[in-house]
Amino acid sequence: MNSDLKEFNSAAAFLIDMTKCTGCRGCQVACKQWNQLKGEKTRFFNGEGYQNPPSMSEYTFTRIKFRDYQKNGQNEFAFYKEMCMHCNEPACASVCPVGAFKKTKEGPVVYDAKRCIGCRFCMVACPFGVPKYEWSKAFPLVRKCTGCYSRIREGLKPACATACPSAITYGPRAEMLKEAERRIAARPERYLKKIYGKEEAGGTSVIYLTALPFDELGFKQVTKRSLPSYTWQALRLVPGIFLTVGGSLSLLSWFTHRKERLKKEEEQRQASSHKAKEENQ
Amino acid sequence: MTAARLIINEIKGYHRFLKFLMVLVGLGALASLVRFIFGLGVTTNLNDTYPWGLWISFDVVTAVPLAAGAFTLGAITHCFHIKKLEPLVRPAIVTGFLGYSLVSVGLLLDLGQPQRCWHTMVFWNPHSPMFEVSMCIMAYTTVLFLEFLSPVCERFGYHLPLRVLRTLEMPLVVAAAAISTLHQSSLGTFFLIAVDKLHSLWYNPLLPLLFWISAIFSGLSIIILEATMTHKWLGQEDESELLETLARIIPWVIGVYILVKAYALFFLSQGPFFDRPGMVALFAVETIAGVFVPFFMFMRKKVRTDNRLRAIAAGLLIFGLVLNRFNVSMYGMIHDGQVYIPSLVETLVTVGIIAAEILFFVLIAKYFPIFEHHPETVDYSIPDHFRKIEKEHGEHGKVGSEA
Ligand code: SF4
Ligand code: SF4
Ligand code: SF4
Repeated sequence: MNSDLKEFNSAAAFLIDMTKCTGCRGCQVACKQWNQLKGEKTRFFNGEGYQNPPSMSEYTFTRIKFRDYQKNGQNEFAFYKEMCMHCNEPACASVCPVGAFKKTKEGPVVYDAKRCIGCRFCMVACPFGVPKYEWSKAFPLVRKCTGCYSRIREGLKPACATACPSAITYGPRAEMLKEAERRIAARPERYLKKIYGKEEAGGTSVIYLTALPFDELGFKQVTKRSLPSYTWQALRLVPGIFLTVGGSLSLLSWFTHRKERLKKEEEQRQASSHKAKEENQ
Repeated sequence: MTAARLIINEIKGYHRFLKFLMVLVGLGALASLVRFIFGLGVTTNLNDTYPWGLWISFDVVTAVPLAAGAFTLGAITHCFHIKKLEPLVRPAIVTGFLGYSLVSVGLLLDLGQPQRCWHTMVFWNPHSPMFEVSMCIMAYTTVLFLEFLSPVCERFGYHLPLRVLRTLEMPLVVAAAAISTLHQSSLGTFFLIAVDKLHSLWYNPLLPLLFWISAIFSGLSIIILEATMTHKWLGQEDESELLETLARIIPWVIGVYILVKAYALFFLSQGPFFDRPGMVALFAVETIAGVFVPFFMFMRKKVRTDNRLRAIAAGLLIFGLVLNRFNVSMYGMIHDGQVYIPSLVETLVTVGIIAAEILFFVLIAKYFPIFEHHPETVDYSIPDHFRKIEKEHGEHGKVGSEA
């Protein structure tokens, strides 16, 4: 696990500094363009805040969430970029029965649509509610942010990171973490003393800095432990349980049947000796 | 033509209730056709907040423990060698086989890419509880099918396969118990991944164990209910003496369940219990009406010996199980604001599946020796090649195979 950790930290990660985000939604548009995603018909005020579209969906892999809040009696906005966190040990990959999800060594968690059987377990498992389904199609597949795997393999940055004028930095995870710590240390009055994604769900390849309490912004409260370990602690017992149950039941039935057989033999013997005696008389 | 006429005439003679069930099955089939033509998104009320709905909650997560009678009873009867329970085994196997076949149908309907279901056999991911469950369900349905072949062979008088099946009987019973233990508990493992989603009244690391234990008592309860009903409505023999034996086993199992649940709740659960009144109410109904009341009922001799009361207690236990599975897989999942109510198509399909289960059971009981099977006349000892018992008892074995 520890050697893996090193690999995660050398793989690329997003550092998203929400205090520098202007809410321009350039990232949202760049994502749509690069991934050729259809526009969604939107209405104002049909979600929880001012954001549009109302939620991530099969057409929207990333989006800026808007939050109203009060600071010193003043109304202010806060922004939060929602996207796949590209977890170090992704829950989606661990539960998929056919292994359609994979954490790449470059960092992104990618999805192989050709394998997917459409069970939607990945959607239940993801702690951040990221994978979305093509509810509009007769034979739907899962859609989510790919971390622009096709771009970074060519040495480019992800579309949103390229488009963003200020808030997104992209580079090796270890460096991004160091940079985040540097920023917090340099301007403690500006930042909350927490790096979201450093430990969440066992660490992610998308890490956030912000000025506001995370839950107020809509960040989900997520366990620090890597999610696959929760199911694995039960699943790893499978072969043992199989052998124990099978073995003990086999033994048990062997014993009970043996007892039965011995009893029968005994009866037989008695009967035949009885008969022999009778014949002798 | 004549064959069709024969079948139609046969059906005409059926009881009204059976015809009604046939209509329900037909409607269900039609609804599943609609689902395949128009797709999941249009015909169900599932969405990104509720990726799993009625089909997973009922047709899979609930139906699997309800079909658990076969493995529990098989293990009790054959491994602990409580021979007198034997007459209950075949109905339980038929129920199990039907249950699992229909679980597979439900699962298939729920998949977005059902034509790729074979992928689970090619692309393995042993870290996935879903992978584990689908493997087990395939294996177990095969085992149940083999067990089910016995009455079929008897019906048509195939003696050779019967001998083979008889030899396989014990290994099959053991395999059934081992495989069932795995997938019954793995259904609980499913929800271990929903760490911050499932409410802490249900989320705890012992969920798989709890699923397994509750599968045992609900499997036994189904047998009680089924035997009581077949006695009442299908005119089958009264098995109350045997059911009493089962009713004596059940409170022990519930007792263990309560202990494990209490331990998990008080020592292993994290997070608040009382933050959502709705959840607390669901939990209270589930545990009081569905666990404690039947527990105390089964503890009393009067209930165990009374046909009606015994069936009521079993019914309550099943109610508790169904509610528990729905709580874990649906209600207990924490969602912001949205509600999910199954669509008409979803409901029709599920109703159709339940109707199919009852219908096929009655029909199989009608045409195959499920109840007429008299185990007293059959030698169930394992053919013993080491001690040559078989040779001495040659006639005996033969009687068995021709019964
Ligand atoms: S955020 Fe969700 S979808 Fe993305 S890698 Fe993590 S578990 Fe998978
Ligand atoms: S929906 Fe597809 S990708 Fe998601 S878990 Fe199921 S098979 Fe895997
Ligand atoms: S492009 Fe950058 S500044 Fe603009 S909304 Fe996205 S993250 Fe914020």
